[in-house]
Amino acid sequence: MLIKVPSALHIGLETVGVDVEINMASRGLPGFEIVGLPSKAVDESRERVRTAIVNSHIEFPAQKITVNLAPADIPKEGSFYDLPIAIGILSAVLDFRIPEKTLFFGELSLDGSLRHTKGALLLALFAREFGYKHLFVPKDSVNEAAAIPEIKVYPVRHLAEMVEHLVGRVQLIPVSKPQSLPDAETHPEFDMAEILGQEQAKRAMEIAAAGGHNILMVGSPGAGKTMLARALPGILPSLNETESLEVTKIYSASGNVKAGGGLLSTRPFRAPHHSTSLVGLIGGGSKPQPGEISLAHRGVLFLDEFSEFPRSVLEALRQPLEDGYVTIARALRRVQYPAQFMLVASSNPCPCGYLNHPKKPCICSPREVQKYRKRASGPILDRIDLHVEVPAVAVDDLAQNRQAKQGELSAAIRERIQRTRNSQQQRFREEGIQTNAEMKNAHLKKYVQLEPEVEQILRQAANRFQLSARSYFRMQKIARTIADLEDVKEIELKHMAEALQYRPKIHDEE
Amino acid sequence: MAKDTQVLYKEDAKYPNLLVAISDSPEQLYYKGTWQDELFENCLAVVGSRHMTSYGKRATEQLVGEVARAGVTIVSGFMYGVDATAHKAALEAGGKTIAVMPCGIERIHPEHQKDLYQSILETGGLILSEWDGSAMPAFWTYPKRNRIVAGLCKATLIVEAGLKSGSLITAELAKKFGRKVFAVPGPITSEVSKGTAKLLQEGALLASSPNDILEYYDKKALFEKKPNFFHSKSGFEPIEQKVLEVLQRESLEADLLARTLGVSAAQLGTTLSLLELQGIIKQEGGKYYVN
Repeated sequence: MLIKVPSALHIGLETVGVDVEINMASRGLPGFEIVGLPSKAVDESRERVRTAIVNSHIEFPAQKITVNLAPADIPKEGSFYDLPIAIGILSAVLDFRIPEKTLFFGELSLDGSLRHTKGALLLALFAREFGYKHLFVPKDSVNEAAAIPEIKVYPVRHLAEMVEHLVGRVQLIPVSKPQSLPDAETHPEFDMAEILGQEQAKRAMEIAAAGGHNILMVGSPGAGKTMLARALPGILPSLNETESLEVTKIYSASGNVKAGGGLLSTRPFRAPHHSTSLVGLIGGGSKPQPGEISLAHRGVLFLDEFSEFPRSVLEALRQPLEDGYVTIARALRRVQYPAQFMLVASSNPCPCGYLNHPKKPCICSPREVQKYRKRASGPILDRIDLHVEVPAVAVDDLAQNRQAKQGELSAAIRERIQRTRNSQQQRFREEGIQTNAEMKNAHLKKYVQLEPEVEQILRQAANRFQLSARSYFRMQKIARTIADLEDVKEIELKHMAEALQYRPKIHDEE
Repeated sequence: MAKDTQVLYKEDAKYPNLLVAISDSPEQLYYKGTWQDELFENCLAVVGSRHMTSYGKRATEQLVGEVARAGVTIVSGFMYGVDATAHKAALEAGGKTIAVMPCGIERIHPEHQKDLYQSILETGGLILSEWDGSAMPAFWTYPKRNRIVAGLCKATLIVEAGLKSGSLITAELAKKFGRKVFAVPGPITSEVSKGTAKLLQEGALLASSPNDILEYYDKKALFEKKPNFFHSKSGFEPIEQKVLEVLQRESLEADLLARTLGVSAAQLGTTLSLLELQGIIKQEGGKYYVN
């Protein structure tokens, strides 16, 4: 007897259809085999399925069972084939019909219950695209899949419950609306108001957050670079619908959505240590997994101690920084992951860290400073929009200032940034981009028209400060964001002038 | 000896008189560049800390530039810090400069200043050393070299120096040779101004303007006319004026400037960029200066 259960296969963020074919032969020795290039996890499915069926108080058939995952030449991975295989076998044993336009998904526990399984959202998207109507997923994964409203998603707790539903004794009810998550609101470690002084750096942070720009902070230890970066999530607006789906897809595919979790609403903030490997940062492996840059998609990638990262790792950031995605090609497969992140980097000015420090002398020779600066190459620095110095602040100065003036609260800044992001979204609604930072040259031509006097000042600056062609365009994007923050249509002279404050200063020396 | 290297012995008529006068003048001088006797007529040694502050840099540029423009040859040790700044300031002012190396004549030390080395030669300056070949500098070669720097010059200018520094050794040598010592006053809070303060206490001459030094050479500064912003206030916005007033008093970081003036970082950023673009102010080491 031959049974067919439709299922799918995830390759990166793409999903292709797979047929689970199950043959139950009365002749031959009883046995259970899976063919069709199963990975170890898929192959071990046999033991989970057999035990889960037995523990659901159903007799496991003493027949020769052959499972084929077609097409047979693509390697299959993941543990979610447990449920379709079990349902296929049970449909023969208990003699029920497998419902049409339905997908089953989930990993079985030995006691027959279903575990949270990665990739539920991807399957729901696949289901929508290929006209499936019903989707049975583990209860813990249901919020993820239910993000796609066109599909009826049924939470399944236990294999026995699933069977009861299929034979018609019990009716499982699809979830109507994904539940919102309790952890949707995050509490950043610091509020911007807690950071004393650093007016210029805070302003740069605000611009960066508003337009999704990359930013590099250079300053002595203890100046507050890390604190500024850690306060950043507090001024970032939440993800919009499109962004949320993009981000959750990556998290779903890599198993980073928590059990019970649904669409993510908070922007990711990733802060990998400088010992992170190239693959860890960019993504890869024989089964290409998303790296930190993709997990930071639509959010922040914070590289503290930028210059301590191995050069090869930093250089690998070049292409994703420019394109907003990364293509990982391996011998067997080629996977593309989105990586439109906002790079926040911090670095010391020199190896000892005290160059230009008001109190402590710097003990580095110019040669050492030069060498240190060279660790991050020109091309990488050229791709960072905002460069800002974070000078060390004298403590007594700050104590005085504490009474004098409190900075603006993160919540207030965030509101302004939200408004700015909304207007950008409105502007780019037909372009498929979300922020000013993503503008390509064609977009610049269309959306950034400079008045002659503004253009003149930019040209003047390009000469005087030796701006590269790339920074020349970056300055326009930053000026656009500054004007947006003020809710002004035309970029004015003052906007461009302020943008120039954040130019790459590396060429200024000497 | 490399092709472009030449040697001059103590017995030669061209050997600078001032250098012969010192007790242990070198037996021979190896040099690169074109030897011109006028070069040695009026020489000023400029020495100071390798770890100069931004104040030291500006002081060096201001004093040395004018002195060199007036025709005084600037002699220094080619080290980074004050030395290199002095060489550069002299070149920029169109003056002549001599670098006395602490190593063999064929070595460029420190190597990353190759460009400066070339410029010194191209502008009619000299590279000097008492050693042949490409020996590395050593602890003992620096004070040896310093006696040539001090010995070639009628006067020595110390810009910034700690209490234990090679610059003080040079100053001591200059005194021993009976030459004038000038010192640039600095803030009493700075480590690298303690040496110069000590020199001033001991009777060194105070160098606060190029003319202080030039008088000694019977010369006068040919000050380049710089636009004086405070006579032409009309061209500036009120905020620009305020920024300039503060910066004229004291160089500051952007943050402090914003706090002092009570303006937003955004507004200040705009102002600073515009002033910088006009070349009125300059940013260096995180601080802003009036040019």
